[in-house]
Amino acid sequence: MDSTIAEQQRILASDWGGGKSPFGTSWSKFMMWIFIISDALTFAAFLIAYGFMRRISPEWPKQTEVFNMVLITFMTFMLISSSAVMAMAVAAARASNPKLAVRFLVLTIVGGLIFLGCQAFEWTNLIEEGARLTHNPWGVPQFAAAFFVITGFHGFHVFSGVTILAIVALRAAMGKYSADGVENAGLYWHFVDVVWVFVFAFFYLL
Amino acid sequence: MAEHHDQHSITYKTYLMTWFWLLVLTALALGVGYTSIDERLKAFLLVCTTLAKILVIAAIFMHLRYERINLILITFAPLVLAVILFSFTFPETLGSVTHLIRVR
Repeated sequence: MDSTIAEQQRILASDWGGGKSPFGTSWSKFMMWIFIISDALTFAAFLIAYGFMRRISPEWPKQTEVFNMVLITFMTFMLISSSAVMAMAVAAARASNPKLAVRFLVLTIVGGLIFLGCQAFEWTNLIEEGARLTHNPWGVPQFAAAFFVITGFHGFHVFSGVTILAIVALRAAMGKYSADGVENAGLYWHFVDVVWVFVFAFFYLL
Repeated sequence: MAEHHDQHSITYKTYLMTWFWLLVLTALALGVGYTSIDERLKAFLLVCTTLAKILVIAAIFMHLRYERINLILITFAPLVLAVILFSFTFPETLGSVTHLIRVR
């Protein structure tokens, strides 16, 4: 009997024996990474479909003539800055400084809200100019369809991120605060930033 | 600030520097976007700046450089799968033009 117990203990102590995380993370952080990986594939599919449609279109509208590039660059700046502030919020939470963490979180949320405001402004302008999912004044219908679907999906992610961060900030302000929770919300927020890096480069600049 | 905590204490200064370099890379991407060069070269350069940016964000903001190697490797899965999806669909656009989209 003794040897069985020793055997069990040996298995539990091994990397994949079930006794500890093989990835060296908490379960919640690992789940967040799995979610990010699957979500990244969704956006990869969108961007690849966009590339495909753009290749088979006879011509593609010039982005600089359709979009307000100053606004888009400002939106990129806001998202990168809020990502940097979010990283600082995680550092503050890890250093057991909830007050500072809440302050950084609020700044991150403000950055996200400014981004969403700019996007609402951009969408309103383009819709007023006649852009729809099915047709648009600048060229192939796929142009506006890709624009609305890709930036819309990304914008929805930003909105979800702001909501999650608001909940995390509220909980931190109430003292129900865990550094792991802040870090997981931060991982999601950085992922939203990563997606925007792709959208900015391949939809607006290329 | 975090020096009493753990082995990998990234300071606020590191984050500020990272933020600065991300802005530099964004400016670089903008510059590439606005120069009138061959489309393929432009696409290649944009892929380079984008990869540089996501690597910086993942390594420092998402703390990936302090994670175990197996976690780092699985985060590359979407990138590999995306390249496969891309390389299996994109050649279709290179041959005949029978499925070109019409402009209304």
